[in-house]
Amino acid sequence: MTPFLALVRKHGRESRWLLGLTSLALFFLSWLTVVITVLTEAKLRRATSPGRGMRGLAFRAVEGRLSDLGSVAFEVAWWNHPFILVNVLLWAISRGSAGVSAEIERGTLDLTLSRPISRTTYLTSQILSALLGLAVLSSSLILGTVVSGYFNKVDSPPTLVMLARPALNLFGLGLAVYGFTLMCSAVDQVRWRPNLIGSVATLTSFVILVIANVPVLEDWKWIGNYSIFKAYDPVSAAVTGKDLGFHVLILVGIGVTGIVLALLGFARRDLPANS
Amino acid sequence: MIVTEGLTKRYRKVNALADLSLTIRQGEVFGLLGPNGSGKTTTIRLLLGLLRPTSGHATVAGYDCWADSLQVRRLVSYLPGELRMPGSMSGFSLLRYLSDLRGGETLDRAVALAEQVMKLDLRRKVRTYSTGMKQKLALAQAFSDPVEILILDEPTSALDPSARAEVLQLVRQANRIHKQTVIFSGHVLSEVEEVSDRVAIMAEGRMLHLEDLHERRSLRLLLIRFTGEVPMDFPPELALTVRETREGGCLLLEHRGELGELLEWLNHQREQVVDLAIGTDDLKSLYEQYHQSKPAELEPTTR
Repeated sequence: MTPFLALVRKHGRESRWLLGLTSLALFFLSWLTVVITVLTEAKLRRATSPGRGMRGLAFRAVEGRLSDLGSVAFEVAWWNHPFILVNVLLWAISRGSAGVSAEIERGTLDLTLSRPISRTTYLTSQILSALLGLAVLSSSLILGTVVSGYFNKVDSPPTLVMLARPALNLFGLGLAVYGFTLMCSAVDQVRWRPNLIGSVATLTSFVILVIANVPVLEDWKWIGNYSIFKAYDPVSAAVTGKDLGFHVLILVGIGVTGIVLALLGFARRDLPANS
Repeated sequence: MIVTEGLTKRYRKVNALADLSLTIRQGEVFGLLGPNGSGKTTTIRLLLGLLRPTSGHATVAGYDCWADSLQVRRLVSYLPGELRMPGSMSGFSLLRYLSDLRGGETLDRAVALAEQVMKLDLRRKVRTYSTGMKQKLALAQAFSDPVEILILDEPTSALDPSARAEVLQLVRQANRIHKQTVIFSGHVLSEVEEVSDRVAIMAEGRMLHLEDLHERRSLRLLLIRFTGEVPMDFPPELALTVRETREGGCLLLEHRGELGELLEWLNHQREQVVDLAIGTDDLKSLYEQYHQSKPAELEPTTR
């Protein structure tokens, strides 16, 4: 086995429980969204049936015909739910902070970097493991939705492409958070600080978007442009794909910038013995 | 093989290592001695390229330790002083991981050494190992690596006496059979003395003294009581130097020359010599010369 694969395998082994349980949680949460969609659609059908006097207005905010959009829009609207976001962001922050500073703190980096492994190789292996994990998490949502769809028939089952688009958007969000957390970890020697910075920055970004969307704070709407969550819109990504490219570009840009700065910072820093 | 010139590492106002210049020859066992914080581990980390020097430079086999750190680490196997291992791995998995990081060629030898010499159960998780067992595991890997240089930072600190003896034996084998250059950093003077060819005594980030232990092993100490006037000059061919003048007409002399000539001279002096004791000197007394005084008061010396 090559040194790089040995490193990737070790990182995977260390994070397998977090990844496995988080993937499982996302799989069943997305399963649940399909169940909820089926129940809601049944309720809507009853409400809009002839003689009930109601029209299907629930998805008028989403472009297109109701019959084309309803199911997928309802399903992936849940991908905005904190239960789902927390799972993905937890992975991004924990793997970001584990990249360097956690290994220094627990003293295991010496064992690895005293072998003929370049710092770039080491950090690249960490990055690859984290991104594979993000891909697995995003795919769990698709898989949960598709598998659940076999058992719970929605009005208009989404195609794989329709589900892949919001999954890509979610992957981008995770990458952005991972990037700036890794950047902090690469120049630190304790894990709590990058964890704290990653969590506070993410939470602040979320709160900014919430403030920007409060109707009575109309004058503050502009601050929403400074939230990374502004670039995360799974419903729009699934239904129309409009702005998906731009959103992903922004998120990947933030993530890649963080990763590049992490690689530069890690290559130049001192690696002290664990305290 | 290893050369440092003015090697210095400073953290803000603290000098972790100051102006270290030394040469470690190919095939020798080089001891690093000193109390905690004396700069031994900083020196090792600078050699491995884990730290960037504030000034000066170090090379291993011609490779700069910072700029060509990867090349340096191809030639070096390192046993960290404060050993931490991923506890979720089994002993075997850890050896396989460390071996894979060097291309995977050393696994069989490392496993054999760990199981047969170190008597470790490699199926157990590393977290269930005692500190000594973890140290044995890392030593098994270090002694299995096909490298030219072994850097052992306090390799016996957690071991029982019999395991210590085995490790010292392995160090001798590595040096004599595998022709490896060894840097042996430690606190136990007798162990360092036992295996080293030369020793650097360090304190507060400075090298205070460099001692050739082969020469030291040929050193005799003579405590002589004279009648009448105590002579202070001796024939140069005897290689006698005065270490200490004591009360009651006593002299403590160091002798590094031929024994026959010394005995002949003593025979000629039998009228003046009232009493005589001949002994050897160990590393402890040399070490104490430097560590009972403030380093700043001592000038670096080399032998």
